[in-house]
Amino acid sequence: MTPPLYIALRFLTHRKRALLLSLSGVVFGVAIFICTQAQTQGFSRYFIESNIGSNGALVVRSRFRPRYEPLMVAAKNSKGTTSRRVYFEGITNPNEIMRVSRQFPDVISCSPILRGTVSARAGFENATVDLYGIDPALHAQTTDILRQLIDGNFDDFRNNTSAIIIGSRLAELLQTSVGDTVQLLAPNGEYWRFNVAAIARAGIGSIDSTRIYSHAKIAQALLQQPSGASMIIYKLRDRNRAPVLASRFETLFQHNALSWQEREESTLQLFLTLRMSVAITVSLIILLAGFGIFNVLTMSVLAKIKEIAILRSMGYRRRDISAIFLWQGALIAAAGSVLGCLLGALMTWGVSHIPIRLRGLLYTNYFLVTWDWHHYAFATLLALLAVFIASYVPARRAAELPPVVTIRGSR
Amino acid sequence: MSAQISLSCDRLERYLGEEEERVHALRGVSLEIETGSVHAVVGPSGCGKSSLLYILGLLDIPDAGRVSIETETVSHLSDDELAQKRNKFIGFIFQFHFLMEDFTAQENVMIPMRKLGELSDAQMRDRAAELLDGVGLGDKLRRPSRHLSGGEQQRVAIARALANDPRVILADEPTGNLDTANSERAFELLQNLVHERGKALLLATHNPAIAEACDWIHEMKDGYIVASHPRGTQRSIS
Repeated sequence: MTPPLYIALRFLTHRKRALLLSLSGVVFGVAIFICTQAQTQGFSRYFIESNIGSNGALVVRSRFRPRYEPLMVAAKNSKGTTSRRVYFEGITNPNEIMRVSRQFPDVISCSPILRGTVSARAGFENATVDLYGIDPALHAQTTDILRQLIDGNFDDFRNNTSAIIIGSRLAELLQTSVGDTVQLLAPNGEYWRFNVAAIARAGIGSIDSTRIYSHAKIAQALLQQPSGASMIIYKLRDRNRAPVLASRFETLFQHNALSWQEREESTLQLFLTLRMSVAITVSLIILLAGFGIFNVLTMSVLAKIKEIAILRSMGYRRRDISAIFLWQGALIAAAGSVLGCLLGALMTWGVSHIPIRLRGLLYTNYFLVTWDWHHYAFATLLALLAVFIASYVPARRAAELPPVVTIRGSR
Repeated sequence: MSAQISLSCDRLERYLGEEEERVHALRGVSLEIETGSVHAVVGPSGCGKSSLLYILGLLDIPDAGRVSIETETVSHLSDDELAQKRNKFIGFIFQFHFLMEDFTAQENVMIPMRKLGELSDAQMRDRAAELLDGVGLGDKLRRPSRHLSGGEQQRVAIARALANDPRVILADEPTGNLDTANSERAFELLQNLVHERGKALLLATHNPAIAEACDWIHEMKDGYIVASHPRGTQRSIS
């Protein structure tokens, strides 16, 4: 143990009240930071997981071709190529696009979907629904549909072309359950009868309250659409590669491709803003803790002026004196971070067990939290930085104290 | 054969304070302290005794002049180098004891040794115990320094000054805060250490009895050394 560390430890442990004050600031700052980040990111990550689990990380939709306007001059501030495209609804050759896109190493699987809006009727209840015509096997590979089933059986759906899977909130709205019949209205005014094989809960209100899955060929016939697919959704090895892949697919297939980040941009921005807002608030708490440490160490320097002069007279260098006070800050930061991380984990666990009945944007019965080591690392880093800044000035002041002035003043 | 010089200074000048309050504290002070001798600096308050001690102890920098430890001139050294010299070659004793409150008597004595870093923890403990035993505090090693009496604290300060076996001991009014009995005891202790272990001691004092018991007496006035004479050759100091 170096002499400055030895002396710092002794100074620290002999001022228990000041130590407790400094330590508690760091502990609570770090713990609250971790807990709030775990909550805000918990909701955000749940939304992303559920969304990707239902709609894929990447979606290829309408075909387009460039709009040729050779005689027109672009407006001065017009940007992007999207305004210079002509779109055609649906995927022209889904099997070929899927065959080519499967060769990309980032693609795990893909699934074609024929999508349309129809009216649904069950008993006396009616609703407008989002019909997803799917290939059961491919859709099960590409999405979390199997995990999302809360009632019924996926095999019953797969083996019966007149079976459907219905969103949980839609099932509540139509007052149907597994085994009941739901009628869907075709564009020609004819009602088609389907058996409810299973009920799915994606956890996102907009999906669970509108979506019905049927077999693709049945949906095509019901919707009377010539195209075999209105979109293809993808499961990727690395979801963060979705924007890059979307750009490549657009160029390659001449179809509009959207990553999940682009698709859910507004909601993600909302979550990000919330996280930033909470992070700023909690960072202020940590900075306040740092200010507390600054005060405690400044008082310590004033209280230890005599000791500093003695140490200097015994041959301790300026940097040794400085190190004594920096070590005190470092010890508070280290102990405070460890205890803060433990308390943060405990608080996060406690919060995750608080009952909360959300049935809006997200479906949950408890607070959603994320266990992410980045929160702990960032909180620790923030605490170390705040404490270092708080310790630096008093440490420097201590090192600059001329010992002779103190000794003369004690006479 | 002339005696070996442990510490010397040559034509020291030192100004204290700023502008109108500026005082010429030392005016061309020169001094040589031989190994195994006890020197006293006497004079009225403000005559420059302490200023001289702090400069000789490398705690303060002179405005002009030179300080040497044995044959090495040290006035030009950096702050870090001066600190190293203080740690190895100089032991300080102050009037107000100046012990570290949060440490025991033994730990106080170990603090300079820790900085020097030449001994193991066990060796430092043994040496501190031996030094404290030497000043009659062998039974109070683990007592917190704030729980010691004034005389005991001064003896701990003496033991601490000897921790790194320095060649020179500088004492600023070492008995100024002690009663007569403790003053005599502390001085005897220092005198024995100097003569037995071959150290050099320079002390600033107002106490005529102590000054007259020193090997050399240097009288200071207004920043000058006005007289220097060996024991028994001067007129009575008052």
